[in-house]
Amino acid sequence: MPTWIGQAARNGIVTSRYPAEPATDAEVPETARPPIPLRGDAALHDGVARCPVGAISEEELDRGKCIRCARCRPAGFEFRGPVEASTGRRAELRVGSAAPAGPGLVEALPPLVGFPRSLHVFLVDAGSCNACNLEVLALANPLYDSQRLGIFFTSSPRHADVLLVVGIPTPEMAPAVLRAYEALPAPKAVIAAGVCPISGGAFAGTPGLLAGLEELVPVDVFVPGCPPAPVEILDAILRVHGRARTAGGD
Amino acid sequence: MSAVRPSETEPFDPYGPERALAYSPEDATFALFNDYATGRPVLRHGIRIPVPTEVRATWQRSRTPELTRSAGPMETIEGYGIFTFPYGPVSMGVPESGKFEVRTYGERILSLEPVTGFKSRRILTSIAGQPISDGALRIERLAGNFSAAHAAAYLAAAESAAGIEVPEGELWVRALAQELQRIYNHVHVLARLAEAASQNVGAAQTHALAEEMLRIQGSIFGHRWLFGALLPGGPRRHLDAADRRDLGRRLNLHSEQFERLWELFLGSRTFIDRIQATCPVRREEALRWGAVGPTLRACGVAWDDRLRVPVTPYNDLFLELSQESAGDALARMLVRAREVQSSYLLLEQMLDRWPRDPGRLLSPAPPVAPGRGLARVESPSGDLVYDVTASDGRVTRIGMRAASQANIPLFARGLRNGVFTDFHFAWESFGLVFAEIDA
Repeated sequence: MPTWIGQAARNGIVTSRYPAEPATDAEVPETARPPIPLRGDAALHDGVARCPVGAISEEELDRGKCIRCARCRPAGFEFRGPVEASTGRRAELRVGSAAPAGPGLVEALPPLVGFPRSLHVFLVDAGSCNACNLEVLALANPLYDSQRLGIFFTSSPRHADVLLVVGIPTPEMAPAVLRAYEALPAPKAVIAAGVCPISGGAFAGTPGLLAGLEELVPVDVFVPGCPPAPVEILDAILRVHGRARTAGGD
Repeated sequence: MSAVRPSETEPFDPYGPERALAYSPEDATFALFNDYATGRPVLRHGIRIPVPTEVRATWQRSRTPELTRSAGPMETIEGYGIFTFPYGPVSMGVPESGKFEVRTYGERILSLEPVTGFKSRRILTSIAGQPISDGALRIERLAGNFSAAHAAAYLAAAESAAGIEVPEGELWVRALAQELQRIYNHVHVLARLAEAASQNVGAAQTHALAEEMLRIQGSIFGHRWLFGALLPGGPRRHLDAADRRDLGRRLNLHSEQFERLWELFLGSRTFIDRIQATCPVRREEALRWGAVGPTLRACGVAWDDRLRVPVTPYNDLFLELSQESAGDALARMLVRAREVQSSYLLLEQMLDRWPRDPGRLLSPAPPVAPGRGLARVESPSGDLVYDVTASDGRVTRIGMRAASQANIPLFARGLRNGVFTDFHFAWESFGLVFAEIDA
């Protein structure tokens, strides 16, 4: 007779080895990795007209705008950038024609003061398509199991260290985002997960919507992606923690 | 305690009160036929209607910046200790932004009113004037977990409006993507119900199963949420024989795992007790308010777009209708579970009979006279209608009625006389998505 215990035992341990080991292809499918211009400047030049969101210019590729639609592929872009593409500075999301291919690493940001132990995260949806919400929730499933790294999701901003915002802020949600930010006790950090809160993503330029989360609150970490894969969000949270995320060492 | 009931005499509207697409009757009649089972007028799928060059501006559904009260008139229930409890728009219980105003005296939900519009990204208005393919990028991001259904419906409507011939292989790819995503969504609903019922081992195992479906989608289409999968030039590679073998193998393992989990859930008294008789919807109510999808099928109405308005490849495949009669959260979950099983079967048939010619849509549409196309697709949560007018390869106006828009009043009505702990079972069992309601 089947039992829950038997079922659990049959499947064994399914949890990801990330960040102790690099993310696998199963965890990060093709377009979850940031694009890199394989043909350098020629790719940028050919890509300008193909990009529907204006992420490609003659000089650089803005990962903070890229929605990973892959239309630039014929111009010579490949989705092989590092999973660890999140950054503390918006400008660092703009890469030139010599962008490094992944899986690379990236030194840890200087740790934000005040989070020496476990980290509590509060999720706010400022106007998302629900994909980012579900990717954040996926961190709680046994395959990612964020609790093994001391990362917990709380249901109140007053218990949280980190505000994780997904979606492009709508004027209807802007006051709620602001109130959630104010309710977080100091020290606090804000993660903008996905291109929507960074630049508006696919909805950039829609009249009536905010241009990005930075118009509302200061942002500490930007996570590119549409949506970012769970390991990329995990990486960004670890980054807030100031934990080194080099492949092969934690 | 006195209660002011909403008027029961409003005229019957197949799309649900206040959520009707702003069809003027003369526009709509030619596109409708009466369904023999329900007596409901039904939109035909994928027909092309020539329209005058001058597009009537009155048709465009205007989005008011104010938030929308979506369950019809609020019941004002007064009495000792009764107050309005605001829940949302930011809460962890419902991981999306939307608000509920609950009239209660502390435990029982006397009435509940969803307030929507917090996440309005003005998608439909912003698409007007854009090329069809650029509009598609926003449409598939309208509701991420229903992206395949939205993209398929939008493209079918836009293509028939613009007079674009779609190769058969492309239609098969769209159906394949939709069935994969249907399985994901139904399994996700089961996981959320298990979570709400504190079935922790079951919830963890089921979430892992849902994640496996995202990974299957990622490996086949290059994107976990199928963004770009249905669009020309998107991430999808050609599905060759090796891909199909691999997909078949993974789907087999997935379905075996699902069967084991579902059997365990059916044997769990605590789980079944918790969802049985929770948030019931009566058949008459479902028809009057225009319920769709598993919500409608769970109260005894035989309605599935894949059977009623069949398109390629569904008209060549065997599909059994899932139907229940109790109308509660359990009935909705039973319908979903059988749909998961029938989707595995559909996918198996598709992989067996995959068309030789993978024909892809690559060339842009030739400029043709303005036309209007209607399409309806069975999304995981139910019937999804798109109405697109296009001219010169650009969208000139667009209307949409999503499953969650049709079903949310039933959720609000079903929860009356429920208790607070019913809330999550009710919400998850309808498969409602605010992103789709707010658009």
